[in-house]
Amino acid sequence: MKKKITIDPVTRVEGHGRVTIHLDEYGKVEDSFFHIVEFRGFERFIQGHPYWEAPVLVQRLCGICPVSHHLAAAKAIDQLVGIDPKDLSPAALKLRRLMHYGQIFQSHALHFFYLASPDLLFGVDAPVEKRNVFAVAIENKELAKKGILMRKFGQEIIQAIAGKKIHGVAAIPGGMHKTFDPREREYFLSGKDIPNVDTMIEWCQEIIEFIKGYHEKNKVMLDTFAAFPSGHLGMVDDRGNMELYHGKLRAIDNAGKITLPDISTDDYQKYFLEGVERWSYMKFPYLKEIGREKGWNRVGPLARINICKAIPTPLAEKERLAFFAFSGKKVNNSTLYSHWARLIEMLHCAELIRELLHDDEIMSSDLVREGKPRLEGIGIIEAPRGTLTHHYQVDEKGMITRCNLIVSTTHNNEAMNRAVRWVADNVISQKGTITDSMLNQVEVAIRAYDPCLSCATQALGQMPLRVELINHKGEVIDERIKNGA
Amino acid sequence: MIGIGNSGRSDDALGWKFVDQFTSYVDLFDIEQRYQLQIEDALLLTEYKKVIFIDASHKTYKDGFSFYKCIPTRTEAFTTHKLEPETVLWLANDLFNQSPEVYVMAITGITWELHQGMSDVAQQNFEKAVAHFKKWLVNTACPVPV
Repeated sequence: MKKKITIDPVTRVEGHGRVTIHLDEYGKVEDSFFHIVEFRGFERFIQGHPYWEAPVLVQRLCGICPVSHHLAAAKAIDQLVGIDPKDLSPAALKLRRLMHYGQIFQSHALHFFYLASPDLLFGVDAPVEKRNVFAVAIENKELAKKGILMRKFGQEIIQAIAGKKIHGVAAIPGGMHKTFDPREREYFLSGKDIPNVDTMIEWCQEIIEFIKGYHEKNKVMLDTFAAFPSGHLGMVDDRGNMELYHGKLRAIDNAGKITLPDISTDDYQKYFLEGVERWSYMKFPYLKEIGREKGWNRVGPLARINICKAIPTPLAEKERLAFFAFSGKKVNNSTLYSHWARLIEMLHCAELIRELLHDDEIMSSDLVREGKPRLEGIGIIEAPRGTLTHHYQVDEKGMITRCNLIVSTTHNNEAMNRAVRWVADNVISQKGTITDSMLNQVEVAIRAYDPCLSCATQALGQMPLRVELINHKGEVIDERIKNGA
Repeated sequence: MIGIGNSGRSDDALGWKFVDQFTSYVDLFDIEQRYQLQIEDALLLTEYKKVIFIDASHKTYKDGFSFYKCIPTRTEAFTTHKLEPETVLWLANDLFNQSPEVYVMAITGITWELHQGMSDVAQQNFEKAVAHFKKWLVNTACPVPV
């Protein structure tokens, strides 16, 4: 008998995708796919626009991480006007960093408090009406309030620099167009108007204690759920420490062996290729030398904490050490540890924001540098979800002729597919009845990567996500869908 | 006064265009524009005694618009990035114990494609909604600037 279950949709992720799980005649999983079916367009329609429009236009890829796209494009456009990262004025560099850390802080807060926390508080078996932030608001008001205030803090840092919380404009070719003023600094430091940066740090530490407790109670599940070996990719500074704005690209394998040895971001093309599959618009980047099968990497908080030697702020570094001491592993390949790593990064960003707010240089008016124009620019940044690449070529008149975007979620494509396969094999396969809890676990696995499917395909339009279960005859026997918004 | 919408999507510009009509009423309104309402907007509501949301609507209203008092309600959606005014008000009540007086002006639109500029129908509905709202301000003894 044919049966159709529709997940409406795979919830609490950014974007429109579909999961299909294929079963043989005995109900055993044969294959699974995480399809991304959004329309791809930005790389194409930016062609023919003047280069200076890129940082403004491409940030429209996303309403969650526009600052990341704005800054990655700005770094690339800097090169088009002859300015490499080392040539930026100290004030411009610090203001960009401040905005970037505000962006990571607010994006991570959104993901943890609004999207992930219901799974942690109520469990993957919780009824659907409990699996949302409103249930968190009812049952844990303080957590919900802190989540809102922490996201607001990050957004207001962005607004102070870019004029708007979403889709503001701050970076211009070769620098920044606005500096900080003493009143703005006072707003974030004094605590008179909003909880100040010291409170943000304190709250980050509280939330980290919460997740440590969660790991202690659920260690076996968290160690094994969607755990699989993979490479890890991210940026590090000259000493091998975590770096989020500009550094060298490093990748390691699942055991910690270096597979990409701290290369210049300008050289990324020598080392990476992108594979395609006919069932998804999202590409599959991999390290050329290792190949498509084994050369893929996770990116984002878990990858970044795995590849770095240390985190260069004291409180976050202490938490990094606790993270590895708890797991007892040199490299952590367990998907659900991403949440803990994400919270450590929030703490790191809060510490960096405090450092910058106390630096008088953010109020300097020395904001722009000029250089000799070039025809190609590459900007790579560590966005909240991982390594983000913007690459532009222009003609002699400065009009864009080519654009290549490798978005963080794209790097995680293979990992998300493997996570779905893990759930299919270990939770769904040969179980007879497919329950809501089983299907929610597919979402939990994907959600840990905080995917932004709109970014990953440079999408336009509506975005629901669907899960389908297909039997050996190719018939859809179970499916869940929701209308997008 | 919070206008919800997107001026790059045809009639979805209604909310933003509406609040633009009242930017000179500086003593009466603080004006905000949003693409979508989000959870943190609950915090914004706590700063005011009275809040007006204006949004384009797919629904067909007899007068081309509907102006009504908002009742706090927890509504469920697949995304938490697009909340209804009722849900934002519910969050303001539940989390922050604040109950501002909230009204919604929903104005009927008919086209939503990527395009600058509204349809004729939306323009007519917009004018009716603005006229109604100005009368309402007078009737509620708000000091409307001339």
